[in-house]
Amino acid sequence: MSLNPATLARVQFAFTVSFHIIFPTMSIGLAMFLAVIEGLWLKTKDGLYLEIYRFWQSIFAMGFGVGVVTGIVLSFEFGLGFAKFAQLAGPAIGPMIALEVLTSFFLEAGFLGIMLFGMHRVGPKLHFFATCMVALGTLLSASWILSANSWMQTPDGVAVRNGRLVVVNWWHVLNNPSWLVRLPHMLSAAYLTASFFVAGVGAWYLLQGKHLAFAKKSVALGTAFATVLIAGQVFIGDILYGTMLKHQPSKMQAAEGFWEKESASPAPYYWVILPDQKEQRNRFALGVPYLGSIWLTHSLHGRVEGLKNTPAEQQPIMGMVFYGFRIMYGTAILMFAVATASLWLRWKRRLFTTRWFLRCLVAMTPSGIIATLGGWYLAETGRQPWVIFGMLRTIDAVSPVLAQTLLATLIAFVCIYAFFMTAFLIFVARVIRRGPESASIHAEASGSLKNALRPQVLDRANANAAVGR
Amino acid sequence: MDMPLLCAGFAALSVTFYVLLDGFDLGVGALLLLQPHEKSRDHMVDSITPTWDGNETWLIMTGVTLLAAFPTAYGILMPALYIPIIVMLLSLGLRGVSFEFRSQMKFYRRRWDVIFAVGSIVAACMQGLILGALLQGVSVQGITFSGSVLDCIRPFPALCALCVLAGYVVLGGCWLQFKATAQLHGFSGRTLRIALPLFMVSFFAVGGMSLFVQPGILAAWQGHPVLLGTLSCIVLLAAFILFGSIGKRPDVRPLIAGLVMIAAGIGGLAILVFPTIVPFRISIWDASSSRLSQIFLLTGAIVVTPVVLGYSFFAYWVFRGKTPEKGWDGYE
Repeated sequence: MSLNPATLARVQFAFTVSFHIIFPTMSIGLAMFLAVIEGLWLKTKDGLYLEIYRFWQSIFAMGFGVGVVTGIVLSFEFGLGFAKFAQLAGPAIGPMIALEVLTSFFLEAGFLGIMLFGMHRVGPKLHFFATCMVALGTLLSASWILSANSWMQTPDGVAVRNGRLVVVNWWHVLNNPSWLVRLPHMLSAAYLTASFFVAGVGAWYLLQGKHLAFAKKSVALGTAFATVLIAGQVFIGDILYGTMLKHQPSKMQAAEGFWEKESASPAPYYWVILPDQKEQRNRFALGVPYLGSIWLTHSLHGRVEGLKNTPAEQQPIMGMVFYGFRIMYGTAILMFAVATASLWLRWKRRLFTTRWFLRCLVAMTPSGIIATLGGWYLAETGRQPWVIFGMLRTIDAVSPVLAQTLLATLIAFVCIYAFFMTAFLIFVARVIRRGPESASIHAEASGSLKNALRPQVLDRANANAAVGR
Repeated sequence: MDMPLLCAGFAALSVTFYVLLDGFDLGVGALLLLQPHEKSRDHMVDSITPTWDGNETWLIMTGVTLLAAFPTAYGILMPALYIPIIVMLLSLGLRGVSFEFRSQMKFYRRRWDVIFAVGSIVAACMQGLILGALLQGVSVQGITFSGSVLDCIRPFPALCALCVLAGYVVLGGCWLQFKATAQLHGFSGRTLRIALPLFMVSFFAVGGMSLFVQPGILAAWQGHPVLLGTLSCIVLLAAFILFGSIGKRPDVRPLIAGLVMIAAGIGGLAILVFPTIVPFRISIWDASSSRLSQIFLLTGAIVVTPVVLGYSFFAYWVFRGKTPEKGWDGYE
């Protein structure tokens, strides 16, 4: 392998951002889930909800922590690896990320402490408010960063004067053509991720015959959320497909695996291809006949556009885009199947007793993460060779840093991130093994803002409670 | 209105908040290495657990403000400071996860504490290295960094690293004076008596040596002798007050003195480099982003910052007073 700074900078960014996105996806989903659960607890006063809350809160906290520390890296990496990108795009994406920090990171950070450690000090109602603020923070964060990333996909509202980028219209920068489709797509991906986590853990307990009340509630809630969300997601995904076809045809051409300007009629839907970028052809392709025409052109004999419609020097690498898309789409189909099965079993009242289905749910636990990663690979590799689509090539954006330095830091990132992931997985495994009952149970539902401002009252109450126990 | 100047002001504000707030966080982290008793270490970590995340957010704020308002400078400085920034980010990462993991995995708590402490120390040193590299100046051609990433590994930045570490340990000690009780209170007093003189010596050593490594600093002293002299006196005075108030009541006095001391130091640095943003090379006006970008950033900053400060203060308020020795949950 040649030590090319551009390649190394890209691998480093791809690695750190792929690792990072796992954790926000989880946090966005779990934060909303926790807000819903705590709301249900306050409404019903059913202790089971508090148990569910406590259980997922500890996993959320850990994931959030890893998300924060790997996210800080990214805000500097724009300049570390891609100085020319930062200098050109800074005027457009910089203020968006700055507003993300102001409106969302501080909101999350400010209320996270109260959410995790403050139940004794503020009481349940204000604590619920803190949980909601954290969930709102994750939502705002996703909005800003999706807006910034969508601007890189479909730039709008700017002009280039004297080699510098000038913002002409902020509304067009923010509300660029793909933002309002990609944002709900990402949000429901995150909520799906959390739903399958919850359902998967519940199913595992049911299979083990442990923590049954907790497990049934988890499976019931997880599959219910997942069913609603996947139905919406298929719909949003279809709209997004149309948007990207219009604004980034090269991405979707690569995603479908066809090379010729027009595919054969009827077009198959490929699942496995072995593309040869140099020869501009597939060495091998395997697909389902007719399905390509039906899905992509909504007719029996329609033809699909291939990558040769885009000049070779502006083409993304087909293999990466294609498989990113297939991983996302394939997982989505599985999710859809599981959701449909859950509806049927729910109707038959066999949701908690059908063991093959519970095993499926366990296997689907990480499905949200896998689909999200696949989707981001489609989005990011499909934008290549551009870093800002149609404006700046990735290769021209690289920092003046030597390849050896980049390689050394890449190795450091891989080692330390592997350590993070190992520790995180060990932790989650331990939480799941210990079960929900050992998650500490906190203050009773009686708090008000007044107590928050006079914590000694609550402290005394707790001291009494401790004596009683 | 002079947008670049206002943006520079906001960047200065966020870097000041970062140093003051994460300073005591990192200092407490570094002190874990000196604390033999596990109970006391738990107590130390508990004192910063609810608020560290917000403190660290000011670092992101600083970086992103630079990207938004002065992209030229951001694009020069990031490659120039490549090594210390990456090492800093990785150590902050290790530190951040050990925060969470130490409380969850009691079995390995000692190891997590070592990672926590080393992460804090390395992060502090790297921030010192960054400061030193900025003060000695980076090589620039046009709007591109033209030096070597190893330029910052020199004696002067190394001295700055020592100084920043000592300063953070002082802040950490002050914080523990404020939040801790009993044995830990005494421990923080003893550390302060050693760390504060160390900080003062290294601070004035950095000040003296900087005159020789960067001609721009000598020029700044000639330009603003009274202002810089006054700030130096404030640093010195605050240090004396701090030293005198160790272990005495009110126990918030060392913390206030420490914060004033460091803030005056940052004020001095700002005067030294003003009006450049790539120190002594490129001015804030030449590195500016488009006007509409800066207006957007500032509008957001002016509207949202007071709210941020409000609920950050609320978060501190909720966890005010002495840190309970049993931890925030009251269990364990």
